[in-house]
Amino acid sequence: MSDINFDQKLDCRGLSCPLPVLKTKKAIDEMTVGTVLKMVSTDPGSKNDVTAWAKRTGNEILAAENDGTDFVYFIKKG
Amino acid sequence: MIILDVRNKEDFSRFNVEGPFQFDIMNIPYFDFIEEEIVSVSKVPQDKPIKVVCAKEGSAQYVGEILVNHGFENVSYLSGGIKTWGNLLAPKRINSQSDSYALFQFIRPGKASCNYGLIYDAEMIIFDPSKNIEFYESFAISQNSKIVKTFETHLQADYISGSKEIANKTGAEIFAHNGDFKEASFQYSTVNDGESYSVGKDGPEIRVLHSPGHTPGSTSYIVDNKYIISGDTVFIQSIGRPDLGGKVEEWSIMLYDTLTNKIMGLNGDLDVLPGHYMDWNEANSDLIFSEKLAYIIKHNVHVYNMDSAEKFTEFIKDNMRKSPDIYREIRRVNTGWLDVKLDEADVMDLGKNECTAVAYNKIKG
Repeated sequence: MSDINFDQKLDCRGLSCPLPVLKTKKAIDEMTVGTVLKMVSTDPGSKNDVTAWAKRTGNEILAAENDGTDFVYFIKKG
Repeated sequence: MIILDVRNKEDFSRFNVEGPFQFDIMNIPYFDFIEEEIVSVSKVPQDKPIKVVCAKEGSAQYVGEILVNHGFENVSYLSGGIKTWGNLLAPKRINSQSDSYALFQFIRPGKASCNYGLIYDAEMIIFDPSKNIEFYESFAISQNSKIVKTFETHLQADYISGSKEIANKTGAEIFAHNGDFKEASFQYSTVNDGESYSVGKDGPEIRVLHSPGHTPGSTSYIVDNKYIISGDTVFIQSIGRPDLGGKVEEWSIMLYDTLTNKIMGLNGDLDVLPGHYMDWNEANSDLIFSEKLAYIIKHNVHVYNMDSAEKFTEFIKDNMRKSPDIYREIRRVNTGWLDVKLDEADVMDLGKNECTAVAYNKIKG
């Protein structure tokens, strides 16, 4: 797991789409530019979705990791 | 009707709903509706029925509700998501209703593949079943029959076979060729070239034709001297790739021998029932994938008229494409050495096959 500093954490384990992206959007909306959100999901489908969503909204994925169960994303608000 | 696929663009471009008839399909990811609801909704035509599709079904339901809130009247979503489409089987009766037996083609559009059912005397045999076991069980019941045997044309690498699970659930016997299955972890009965089997009492004959090349154990089954269930050996517009096992030279020579010395020697009047198709235009007017062997040989003359095994091997090598990485895993599932959860199996099983040898681009061009 990466040693990336984050400012806020969001647990989306057990949720399936659209909830991980919806909750991530809500969390990011309330954060300030440049801060980092760590989001954890168990939905394999989140990988392409979160990546495409971040690209579309101008937020940056610093790292995306998978330990077999959890998909962990570090998203920097753009 | 309009299909509105709300998955991300990457997943959409890899695999989406299609069929024999033209219909409108749009891809607007669900997170576009989250970010810009009004702009996204305005892209969807309001005067046509909308069917929303996503990976599972949550996002389709979510977008469907947004559309309804904006005054759309005819909105539905695909329950179970894209996997429902990927696993779908469409049964088609192949032979005449007046025959004493019934032969069905089960078309799986999501995979561009076909498997087959033969019913006589309340017994049903399935050739190359997919993992959609519920479908076969309810189909057998609808035909007042019981699944008694499954026959494998070869060890599939592109989709998960349902034989093992059918055998476990119904007690049906699995038949397969040693050339592909000798290392399988489950019990099966060996088929050998020239043998005959039947279904029910005095049912139509099923003759075994070992037709190696796509795999060493590839086997075709000739039913009632009229139909040849050709697996991944003979396709209507192509042949099965002999390069998927990593032994392109050895298997190409086998395939050349099979085509030249076995297939071309068969009665040209046989109806070929292939394991895959490349395009819906191969289907006949009843939307069945079936063609006379003589016609296939004539229209694939490049493949069948090679002077030598060497030339044939060169041709195969020139047209080789990468084989999907997942095929190794699927083979392990199909020999019983890898157990996967249903969820994982659905994901492994998604996407079109990569089994046809050639698009003839080098030859025709």
